[in-house]
Amino acid sequence: MIPQEFEYTVPQSLDDTLKLLHSGDRKILAGGMSLIPLMKLRLASPEEVVDIGRLPGLNHITETGGTVKIGATATHHDIETSPVIRAKVPLLAEAAARIGDVQVRNMGTIGGSTAHADPAADYPASLLALEAQIRLASANGERTIPAADFFLEAFTTALEPGELIVEIQVPVEESNEGYRYEKVPHPASGFAVVGVAARVKKTKNKITLARIGVTGMSPRPFRARKAESLLESGATIEAAAAAVADGEEPNSDLYASAAYRQHLAKVYAQRALTTALSRSS
Amino acid sequence: MKISGTHTLPAAQDHVYNLLLDPVVLARCMPGCESLDPIAENEYAMRLKMVLASVSGLFDGKVRVADTNPPASFRLIVEGSGKIGFMKGDGLLNLSSVDTQTTVRFDGDVQIGGTIAAVGQRLVDATAKMLIKRFFERLSAEAA
Repeated sequence: MIPQEFEYTVPQSLDDTLKLLHSGDRKILAGGMSLIPLMKLRLASPEEVVDIGRLPGLNHITETGGTVKIGATATHHDIETSPVIRAKVPLLAEAAARIGDVQVRNMGTIGGSTAHADPAADYPASLLALEAQIRLASANGERTIPAADFFLEAFTTALEPGELIVEIQVPVEESNEGYRYEKVPHPASGFAVVGVAARVKKTKNKITLARIGVTGMSPRPFRARKAESLLESGATIEAAAAAVADGEEPNSDLYASAAYRQHLAKVYAQRALTTALSRSS
Repeated sequence: MKISGTHTLPAAQDHVYNLLLDPVVLARCMPGCESLDPIAENEYAMRLKMVLASVSGLFDGKVRVADTNPPASFRLIVEGSGKIGFMKGDGLLNLSSVDTQTTVRFDGDVQIGGTIAAVGQRLVDATAKMLIKRFFERLSAEAA
């Protein structure tokens, strides 16, 4: 199908964008990898589409003072190949490389993906494990909130009407950290049936820091805090991985039942943690 | 697709039962419900606007209450169709008292078809659970 008729606007500045967003039935278009298919199916029919894909100043990737700042319209390809990301927050590059396919990665943006908050998206597990912050702007000002407070439910985020993601801020991973993003891709769509992002730091073979983000398993991505504390208090990776899904409601669909997803989360958490540990020094 | 769960409400069982059978309350609790107009005994015409992220769809249909057994149980049948697809939910609600609170247990079947089913199958479970949760949250607020 083709989309229903809509107005198409290309604002020339962030301010103009925010003024437009302040009212009306307007959807932001960045890479279009989520919005356009929905519009073609007529599942989404916004009256106006506001294209920020070429808005200057929104696709930077820089590091200042221990924080990597990623503009909202940086593409998955930008992130996957950026020397700054690969040196400073390599877990995110590993996650970006697993998204969809080459064509999707060339167009899709981190801001768009994060705002869309598909329960099976790849970034959220890493954003949680990396304890990233999301910077939001509106006509009324800006605010920054932790990723942990941003993803609320399936497709539901803390974005208020009129707000736009402008930047994702990620603390630099330390050089002795080990990391790994493991994912079970759906064989047709490539979406994460389950995805686990793990970071570990060790001192003399004892794990001193563990961060585990899980996507795909539940309606919203989550930090496996119980598994993290188990690891930090000396438990084995097996024991921690077995607790990774505790307390979270798993999704169920034709491809994977709730029980299967829980099982996958444990197996893939174990794999991610094992690799992350072997990469740490 | 089978769906079931329990929710506890801070109110007496009789009160909760009456609220559940009141179309004005039901209309306020069902997420996106714009109107529930009586067309027959225990049967209402429904207009519902479902919004989930960028996806929004208008559904026209019916809500029917059956097998009423106050204050213990009843059957709720919701069906609607629109441009983005159609849906039908048929559930049995069982109420029981725990101190001054009421536990509502529901067991039902949800079917969807059309475009939302073709592309959204992986989300049906999560969406249904989310809508049911919102329903009970609003019902809790009504009961207070």
